[in-house]
Amino acid sequence: MVRGGRALLAGLWLLASVSCLRGAAAGYRRKVTLQSVPGSNSSSANLLHVRAVGRNNTLHYVWSSIGAPTVLLLYTRSESSALRVNWTKLLSASPAGAIWIEPPGSVVYSTAVVFTKVFEYNGANVSALSKGQEEPFYAPYDLAGFSWQSVNHTVNQTALTAKFQGVDTSDPGGAFHNGTISFQVTAYEQGGRDGPLPRLLHTANSSKVEFIMDNVAPRGNSSRFMLEVVTVEEKGGRKRLQSVRSIDDEYTPTIFEMAQLVSEPRNDSIGPSFFQWKTTAYGSREASRENAIRCRYHPLQTANRTLPGPSIAHAYFGEGLDRSHHIAAINISFGGEDGEVYAEKGYLSWSALLGFGTPPKDAFSPLVMAIVVVALGTPVVLLLVGGLVVLFARRKRRSQYEPIN
Amino acid sequence: MVEPGGEEVRPLLDSAHNDCPQRKALPALCDPRRLAHRLLVLAFMCFLGFGSYFCYDNPAALQTQVQRDMKVNTATFMALYAWYSWPNVVLCFFGGFLIDRVFGIRLGTVIFSSFVCVGQVIFAMGALFNAFWLMEAGRFVFGIGGESLAVAQNAYAVSWFKGKELNLVFGLQLSMARIGSTVNMNIMGWIYSRVQDLLGSTGHSTLGFTLMIGGVTCIFSLICALILAYLDKRAEKILCKEQGKTGEVIKLTDVKDFSLSLWLIFIICVCYYAAVFPFIGLGKVFFIEKFKFSSQEASAINSIVYIISAPMSPVFGFLVDKLGRNIIWVMFAVVATLASHIMLAFTFWNPWIAMCMLGVAYSLLACALWPMVAFVVPEHQLGTAYGFMQSIQNLGLAIIAIAAGTILDSRGYLFLEVFFSACICLSLIAVVMLYFVNHLTGGDLNWSAKKREKLQKLAAAEKEI
Repeated sequence: MVRGGRALLAGLWLLASVSCLRGAAAGYRRKVTLQSVPGSNSSSANLLHVRAVGRNNTLHYVWSSIGAPTVLLLYTRSESSALRVNWTKLLSASPAGAIWIEPPGSVVYSTAVVFTKVFEYNGANVSALSKGQEEPFYAPYDLAGFSWQSVNHTVNQTALTAKFQGVDTSDPGGAFHNGTISFQVTAYEQGGRDGPLPRLLHTANSSKVEFIMDNVAPRGNSSRFMLEVVTVEEKGGRKRLQSVRSIDDEYTPTIFEMAQLVSEPRNDSIGPSFFQWKTTAYGSREASRENAIRCRYHPLQTANRTLPGPSIAHAYFGEGLDRSHHIAAINISFGGEDGEVYAEKGYLSWSALLGFGTPPKDAFSPLVMAIVVVALGTPVVLLLVGGLVVLFARRKRRSQYEPIN
Repeated sequence: MVEPGGEEVRPLLDSAHNDCPQRKALPALCDPRRLAHRLLVLAFMCFLGFGSYFCYDNPAALQTQVQRDMKVNTATFMALYAWYSWPNVVLCFFGGFLIDRVFGIRLGTVIFSSFVCVGQVIFAMGALFNAFWLMEAGRFVFGIGGESLAVAQNAYAVSWFKGKELNLVFGLQLSMARIGSTVNMNIMGWIYSRVQDLLGSTGHSTLGFTLMIGGVTCIFSLICALILAYLDKRAEKILCKEQGKTGEVIKLTDVKDFSLSLWLIFIICVCYYAAVFPFIGLGKVFFIEKFKFSSQEASAINSIVYIISAPMSPVFGFLVDKLGRNIIWVMFAVVATLASHIMLAFTFWNPWIAMCMLGVAYSLLACALWPMVAFVVPEHQLGTAYGFMQSIQNLGLAIIAIAAGTILDSRGYLFLEVFFSACICLSLIAVVMLYFVNHLTGGDLNWSAKKREKLQKLAAAEKEI
């Protein structure tokens, strides 16, 4: 009885220490608020402010659908730094300086990610591609020209999510008759892992954006879509494209590659900024392996890139953005040569994580480690024990023989 | 899939009667007494199993296409393999009985071949009509024929080659089976793309037509079965011999007399095969996704186990016969398989290394494991022991196939490989235990061939005294 109680106590202690460890691994908590910034009458002029207060610093993520959908990532060394917006200037033709942080000196690092265009092309004919023929592109959708619904009613304070949903206003082909393109934003208070696929690992210093195409009518029988993402980086550091291949696909089944854009490491404690995604998209609201859509990325374009306006990046960094900052663009395409997953369900969702610090990296789950240890350990132990038993038996037999000799 | 020839089929007594009427001399190719004719028969015998082995792995060769066109997840996809195995959990016990007592070998072979054909046609119809349940039903019917056909094939081999070139014939049949699987792995994807070009699109009907074309191999095997039946009948008349039999006697009550060693052999068998065949069934996508192989490359590497097994099986069979020490060989094979699974799971090393190792280990295990049964079971229980071994192997394969599909969908390939490694470890534990049990009880499983021979002679000498 006493022994049983002791074993139970030991087990509890072990459990407690394990959960402590896990808590530590999850990192510290930030106090996060997510709200739509009031002040404009136009429903399309959305400004969403995510403020994440930590120890001696505050992260600001400013999402907006004014112009091309954009997020500003601002790192401030103050727990009380605040976002300021001059709405009349912001909605005018020259928005430079319409968005700033108070006090201005607290900003240590600022960067931006802009989603500029969605391309559509015919991607079925592999043989035509391999013969060096140009992929036939349709006219791209310019996201800056979209009309966006008010983000106000999509803000969820507890789940820390909001959704920008837009349609093409010109829409000559009627592709957006029932369809929408949206960007779903999720902010995080602490480290952890998403429930639904692709189950990205996140830290308290990051946020997630999910690009969703819902019912946008394709213009061809085997249309593929491609999203153009542009990053704005301070002159000192530039973003580099990295492919992290991992043997661990237990969180995102059959996907072994994580792609990420990482800025050059900095001397201060902030670390770099990153934008990372698993090389897969999903063709259903209930993401699962069988509706996975192959996702590929094209080389990072850095030479002579400019960022077409308008966007809140221009409002924050100023009009001379293209000269004063490093602009890099990357195209991310969805759908391989075969597979018409989008054509079937008319749905595509792709998730990416953005934030500060070293990009999160998957590690083996405790379950895998436990199975490996037990499975490999048992035969070895058995071999040792069996060897001893045989040795013992042999010696015993020999000692029985001795009297006869 | 059961090893053809793996099941020990005891030869009949030579029943050529002396009062058989002498016939006029026939050309060598048509004379059942001559080698040339027997080789002709051998060719038909080998192609008898070709169709069923070709079509068994159709799903693996077309995994992405099946999952895409039929819109099924991996667990449901793997049910195609499970449905093949279910009937054989029971049929393994009755295949021999059906051939010996009910149909006779000739009719039995034709019936089983027809089952294979009809099964494959139903399977293809399921794809044509976009009804996955029909595909599963097809695999079930296919399974009824497939495994029993292997038993019938062995019975034919014994009846024609007993006491002459029997081991070589078994080896050749095994090689032929592996060639069937290999050709399937490498050609079905190509056929699919041809059909796709013809129809102009992918979809369930493309899949259906492709599987129909695959079914041609089954028709071919059925024709072989008919020709064999004719030749066997003719030989029976000319040589006045009896129709071949498996000579299998199954007594389920024997199970309670099985020794611990035999049960350990069963565990080794189930755990080992469960970590090889379902892996091959799911392997193609693994090589495409993890190692960035093209579809053709992935098919090629996925069939390398079969390719290696084709020539290596006879070689290893010969070696194990000469050297004995079966447990050590089995242990070696299991450890090598474990190493290759671990390599595939935890490294980005060129997978050709791991897969070739797996191929060699698999051939070695097949040659060392199956004969061990004969050492631990009295001869009159041999049929039951082999039937039981195949039955639980099929049960294991069916369950693990579905489990593997579910694991892949929810946890990915790393976890799946860890799971397979764990299965192999279980198998390894059983081998280690078998080694010690055999050592402590003074069994003859691990004797060298020389010692075995010596003791056999000694026993024979004692008998004479």
